[in-house]
Parts: sequence; structure tokens; C-alpha cells
Amino acid sequence: MRVCIPTEEPGLEARVGTRLGSSRYLMVVDIDTMAVEAVPGGSGQGGGGIQAVVLAISKKVDAVLTGYCSPTAEKYLSANSIEVITGISGTVAEVIEQYKRGELQTHIEVKRKSESRWSKIDRVNLLHELRESSNQFFTLLPMLAGVVLLIGLFNAFVSKEFISSIFSGNSMLDTLWGACLGSIFAGNPINSYIIGGELLEYGVSLLAVTAFIISWVSVGLVQLPAEISALGIRFALVRNAASFVLSIVISFTSVIVLNCIRGLSL
Amino acid sequence: MKRGRDQSLIKKRRKMRLLVFPAVVLVIYGILFVIMPDKASAALRSSGKVFTNILMPLCLVFIFMFVLNLFFKSASITKFLGRGAGIKTIILSAAAGIISIGPIYAWYPMLKALREKGAGNSFIAIFLGNRAVKPFLLPMMISFFGWIYVLILTIFTIIGSIVVGYCVDILVKEDVTTQADSL
Repeated sequence: MRVCIPTEEPGLEARVGTRLGSSRYLMVVDIDTMAVEAVPGGSGQGGGGIQAVVLAISKKVDAVLTGYCSPTAEKYLSANSIEVITGISGTVAEVIEQYKRGELQTHIEVKRKSESRWSKIDRVNLLHELRESSNQFFTLLPMLAGVVLLIGLFNAFVSKEFISSIFSGNSMLDTLWGACLGSIFAGNPINSYIIGGELLEYGVSLLAVTAFIISWVSVGLVQLPAEISALGIRFALVRNAASFVLSIVISFTSVIVLNCIRGLSL
Repeated sequence: MKRGRDQSLIKKRRKMRLLVFPAVVLVIYGILFVIMPDKASAALRSSGKVFTNILMPLCLVFIFMFVLNLFFKSASITKFLGRGAGIKTIILSAAAGIISIGPIYAWYPMLKALREKGAGNSFIAIFLGNRAVKPFLLPMMISFFGWIYVLILTIFTIIGSIVVGYCVDILVKEDVTTQADSL
């Protein structure tokens, strides 16, 4: 059985090189007869890895023992049924003794086992996250389906005239209405986008819809008792009041900026 | 054991509660199909149209959700919520709010615990304000309102949340002192 070990000097007492491709010598050792052949290795100026691979194949070695081996070189060596063991240190003689005793294979097997454990964990993690995301997604769906069906009813029964009687076209009043509506309702923001989109179709101003979308999440009258019990009455009231005012301010600034950008692009 | 059973009961109850609203809507549809079949089918057609519009963005929402779950752990980012002061904490609190998923009532106990551990009121307010920014819902929002609007609104929402945090910080200080005194 023949093994190939990169070194900086010829001989059994030479230390194992850190890199297969850049070591000055490749020691080819027959571990049964302990016959040693020192072959000059790669120059370290590029392409040394491939030279070493070609040498190892032509010398018909069974294993390469090295400090480091590039993934490409490892791929070629493995394809030629040459075992690659990395992370090796010590002298050539010591390493060969360890290899004979089977210690290096054990070391590698432990490494492989831990690697396969990691890949298993990754797979498990991936599946876990997929399940988690599916759960989150499917908890969204019943409410979403309800909202979509309700919008259908709304479209069939509520006329544009009725909507315009609430949203009269007065910017300030409409925005206030939007913020109030958004503050009363709560839930996933996705529903506010769908309702907001439909309100736009009905001719409600973007100002009112923006205030509605923002206050839907940031102000919550329905969950106010829960917020009070968790974070205190003063905190809950101040935060909700400030968020309500801010929802109106943000909708005005956002729409003004949007109109400026649209005006510039025209 | 008992606690685990209680938790699963609460979860089951929450799931059931989620079904109440769509069930009520379905009952309304059922009644309408009997008394006004024309109007009911028009409503259903209209819902179908809305659903087709949101189908594609909804698929993207799922993909975004999965990717965000894979790379961000909400629980781990809240570790930084309100620790210390300054811009770094503001950014971390905002980021925690942005990537937080799930209904708000699920977050209250955690926020309460964080405040007891010394997290500032302003950072909790910033966290709550930034819950309005949902990266996984962006495809949906863009499909309804266009990306320029979404970008502007997102930026202003983040700035607004910091303003709310500042207001809360000034106005709620007294409340905390009173609470501390009463202990």
C-alpha cells in the first residue's frame, strides 16, 4: 500500500507540509516495505495542486496525507479512488505509524460523522423553518379569506355614493376618518392592504388610505386592554395617542413626497 | 405537563377564534344565497377577482416568510432590545420590530419581561411602531400601491416610530417612577 505525503525536505524525518500543492517534495512511501521515494513537488507558483494530483495518480498511491488539500484536488483524487486525509501534522515516520495503526482513519471518521451530523441538523432546521413558515402562513389564511369574502359582499351591496358620503373629499377629515377606522380594526397588516386597495378603487383618497394602513398596525383599540395590562396604562395611552397623531402626519408627508417625486418624473 | 396541556389548549382556542370571523362571513353568504342568489353570486365573483389579484403576491409572501425565518431569529434579536442607549439600540429595537412575526398579543408578555429587565419604554414603543413594516408582506403592498409609495411609507414609518418612542420616553418617565415608588 502506497501513501503520498507533501514535505519541505526529503526523508522520513521531514515534517508533513501544510499544503499539497505548494510543498517542495512529495514523499511516496510504501508502508509495507517502508520504501521511500522523494519526488519534487509543485513550485508553489500556481498549478502545483494539479501537478501533485497527477503525480499521486501516476505513482499509483492509495492515500494522500496532508495538512490541507484544496476541494478541487480532493475531488480529482477521490475520483481516482485515492483516499484524502487532511489536518495531518508531525513527521512522515510518525504519520505513517499513525496511519498503520488506523488512527488517522478514526480521526477522519469522527470528522465525517460530525459533518454528517451538521448536515442533518441543517436539513432538520430547514424542515423546521418550512413547517414554522407554513404554520404562520396558514394562520393568516382564514382571516384573509374572511376579509376577501367580506370585500365581495361590500362590493355587491355598498355603493360608491355611500362611500363618498363618508369620505367627502376633505383631505383632513378623510385622513382622520381613515386613521379612526384603522385604529378600531386590528389584525394582520395584509388585510389592511387589501381593504386599502379596495377603498382606492372606490375613489377614497390616498391620504385616508395611508392613515388607515398605518393606524391599523400602530394603534390598537381592540388590544388596548392587553397592552395596558402588560405595559401600564400611561405607556399604552401615550403610545397609542402618539401613534394615532403620527399616522395622520405620516400620511400627509408620504403623499406630499410621493406627489413631488411623481411631479419630478413627469 | 399541566402547563404544556394548558399551552396547547390556549393555542387550540386561538386557532378556533381565528375561524370565527370567516365562519360568520360564510353563514352570511349562505343566507344570501337563499334570499338574494343574484347579489350573492355577484359578491362571490367579486371576491374571486380580489383573490386572483392577491394570489401571486401571496405566494411571494410565503417565500419571503420562509427565507426570513431561516435567517433571522426574532427571539435572538430581542435580546438586544433596549440594552444600553443610543443609535445602536434604536436600530436594534427597530430591526426587532421589523422582523417580529405573529399577533401582537403574543409579544406583550415578552415585552413586559424585557421592561422588567430594564429595557427602556422608548425602545419598546419603537419596537411596536416598527411592527407596521413587514418585509415579507412587501410583495403584497407593492402589488397594491406601487414600490415608490411603499418605499416612502416604510421610511416614514420607521422615522415615525422613533418619534413615538421619543414622545413615550418623555411622557411616561413619571409613570415608571410612580410604579417604582409603589414597589
